[in-house]
Amino acid sequence: MVQDTNQSSGKPDWRQIILIGRRPEATLVRIVVLVAVCVVTFKFILLPIRVEGISMEPTYHDRRVNCINRLAYWRHEPRRGDVVAIRYSDPGPLAKPSQMLLKRIIALPGESVSFHDGQAYINGRLLEEPYVKNGCDWDHAPIRCGPDQYYVVGDNRSMPFDYHMQGRAERQHIIGKVLL
Amino acid sequence: MKIASRVALLAILGGLGFWLWTAFFPNPEKIVLGRVSSLAATATINAGDGAITRATKVSNFIGYFSPDAVISYDVTGFGARSLSGLDEIRETAAGGFAGVSSLKVQFQDATARVSPDKQSAEVSCTVRVSAGDSKEFGIQELRLQFKKIAGDWLITRAETVKTLQ
Repeated sequence: MVQDTNQSSGKPDWRQIILIGRRPEATLVRIVVLVAVCVVTFKFILLPIRVEGISMEPTYHDRRVNCINRLAYWRHEPRRGDVVAIRYSDPGPLAKPSQMLLKRIIALPGESVSFHDGQAYINGRLLEEPYVKNGCDWDHAPIRCGPDQYYVVGDNRSMPFDYHMQGRAERQHIIGKVLL
Repeated sequence: MKIASRVALLAILGGLGFWLWTAFFPNPEKIVLGRVSSLAATATINAGDGAITRATKVSNFIGYFSPDAVISYDVTGFGARSLSGLDEIRETAAGGFAGVSSLKVQFQDATARVSPDKQSAEVSCTVRVSAGDSKEFGIQELRLQFKKIAGDWLITRAETVKTLQ
C-alpha cells in the first residue's frame, strides 16, 4: 500500500502552499483586504485617467495613462504650475467624473492674466514657463480671476488662442492634481 | 440556523420587493434620466443607417422637445448659436443627421434635480459628440430643463455650460 508522504506527515501539498498559502483563512483575509484597498484607492483617491488630445504636449502626450490624486488639495489650495484635472458636470461627491480637462494653473484667485507675443503675464509681470516648448503669438487683454477661480491653460500653445480651451476654473471643479 | 435562514430569506424578499417597486413605479429622477439616456440613443447615427432611418430618428429626436423649446450652444471653434421652436430644431437636426456618415452622442455623469411639485426637472450632464471614426466635436457640460407636459417629460431648454470661463 502506497501512502502520500505529505498526508502521512500532515503537511500541505507544495501546490496548495503556492496557491493558497499555509493558512487558507489568512490568505483569504489578505486577498479581501487587498481588493478593498485597491477599490478604495483607485475609485476614490487615485483616479486612473488616459490623456486624450494634444493640449498638454509635450508634458503629457496623447493616450498616456496617468492618475489624479484627489487628496492633493486636502491640506493646501492649488498652486501655480500645478497640472490639475477639472471636471465638467458634477457626478456626485464621491463619483469619478467620466471626462475631465487636464490643464496647468498659471494664475491664482484675484490675479489677472494677459498674453503678449505668446508670453503669459500675471498682474503685469512676465511668467516664466519652461514647460511651454511650442511658441505662439497669443495676444489677449487681462482677464481677472474671481475669489474662487484659477486660470488654467494647456502647455501646447501652437494653436490659435480661440481654439485652445482655457480660462477660469471654479475651485469646486478642480478634482485633484496629476500624480506623475 | 433556522432563524438565520429565515432572516436571509426575508432580506432577499425585501430586496426583490424594493426592486420590483422601483421597476414598476420609478421616481421622476429615474424617468428623466431614462429620457436623457434614450435621447442619446436617438441622436446616435450608425454608418449603415439609411435615409429613412435617419428621417425617423429626426422625427423621434423632435419628440423629446416641447413646442417652444430652445437649444443654445457655444462650442469652442464653432461659435455660439441658438435654435428656437420645433421647426428650427427639426431643420437643424435633419441637416446634421444627413450630413454626417455617423454620429455618436453620449450623455455622461447625468444628475437630475426634480422640483418639489414634480412638474419640472433640471439635468446636468457632460455631452460627448463624435462624428465618423475620428472627428471629435468635443465635450461640453450641458444643462437640460424638462417639464412634464401631458404626462410626458419634454425638454424646454438645452444649453451648453462653459466649464472654463
